[in-house]
Amino acid sequence: MLDYTFQFGQIVPYLPRLLDGAVVALELAVLSFCGGLLLGTVGAALLTFAGGVVRRIIGWYVSFFTNTPQLVQIYFLYFALPDMGIVLSSFTAVLLGMTLNAGAYLTEIQRAGFESRRQSEMEAAEVLGFSRVQQIRYVILPHVARVLFPPLSNHFILMTLGTSMAAVFGVEELTGQALNINSVTFRSLEIFSVTALLYIAVTLVASALLAVIGTTVFRARMRMF
Amino acid sequence: MPRLVINGLEARYGSLKVLDGIDLDVASGDVVGLIGPSGSGKSTILRTLVGLTPPAAGSVEIDGEHIDYAKPGDVRRLRDRLAIVFQQYNLFQNMTVLQNVMIAPTKIKKRAAAEVREEAVRLLAKVGLADKLDRYPDELSGGQQQRVAIARALALRPEILLLDEVTAALDPELVSEVLDTIRVLAREGMTMLIVSHEMGFIREVSKEVVFMDAGRVVERGTPAKIFDAPEEARTRDFVSKILRH
Repeated sequence: MLDYTFQFGQIVPYLPRLLDGAVVALELAVLSFCGGLLLGTVGAALLTFAGGVVRRIIGWYVSFFTNTPQLVQIYFLYFALPDMGIVLSSFTAVLLGMTLNAGAYLTEIQRAGFESRRQSEMEAAEVLGFSRVQQIRYVILPHVARVLFPPLSNHFILMTLGTSMAAVFGVEELTGQALNINSVTFRSLEIFSVTALLYIAVTLVASALLAVIGTTVFRARMRMF
Repeated sequence: MPRLVINGLEARYGSLKVLDGIDLDVASGDVVGLIGPSGSGKSTILRTLVGLTPPAAGSVEIDGEHIDYAKPGDVRRLRDRLAIVFQQYNLFQNMTVLQNVMIAPTKIKKRAAAEVREEAVRLLAKVGLADKLDRYPDELSGGQQQRVAIARALALRPEILLLDEVTAALDPELVSEVLDTIRVLAREGMTMLIVSHEMGFIREVSKEVVFMDAGRVVERGTPAKIFDAPEEARTRDFVSKILRH
């Protein structure tokens, strides 16, 4: 039998700090996901339509970031860049690292969507005078948003959990706050079980929100005007 | 003066010559029907004219202006004047009927939305879809979708409308609603080049009929000449097969 008396009362005063941490985690996840989505959209568009050299460069970018650990990527930004005279705050380094990493994965995910575009609609757009960028914006992206909404939201959830690695760099997000509180109270079981529950709460709420957005906005098609 | 003049037009798919020296002209306000067996190059002419299939040789002039298909600016100007309607409608699935018709004039031509909307509603009423403005393409029948596609093409106020077997994908009972729409356009003096297998319709609506085979124009003339008294053996053969079934 477990010889341990849970004393959740002791960590109640620290709950606001954990909640602050959860907010920082969400901030990191949302910002890096949005940045990554932007990079991924441009990356997928270039992979699909650009010439050989540009395609190869994008290919290298994707290979590099999907085949090295994210932790190492952020270490590089945080500890190696200062040697080149670029000093980033821990939050910025993590945000930048997660954004670049997300950009690579979201390029790969969106490329599938670009490839499944309907050629007939592209031709119709072309003869109506759409430029390539306008074809992407008005024809491909709504299609991508619709067919790729589930894998894109899964990636967002993964990234939300991935923000915990920011603790390594001293960012006071949820895991970072938990570590801080643990070093003061030593109520590890209580703190980390509450932290886990908070992560579950955040991801469940995010999943539910995304599902609502997915079904109302995207499954029922994107509004263009 | 003829509005559209095509001289010696050639097109290839790989080593296959699908258009082998086409000469054709369509005068302003005329309807020209293009007929011929499958694979004779009828649709390729239309695709080449709108710049979807690059021509290998030959020249295309619109109102005396030569079109160089290698120049994006020429192709852009050309697409301001020519519109095409496809066999498979090719509507934007993520947009409503009204958005399909409005998007090119508003987002590409940057015309004022209110004015475009008024015109789009009028065009959709004209093709009999005034009650479907906010529907999505997959909620419509094939005939309705094709009529939306016609309205979408007209929204750019083209001078010449190209119709590429627009009833070929439709259930038989839906064909007449689309043909009726085209009849209205013909009566209003719209210049059209129509590829179709609906021989009765081609005969009725065309001023001139062009019979094609193997990438060449075999014979051209009035509908009465082509359908009742063709000069060429291949035309006779085709027409008799079509009319016999």
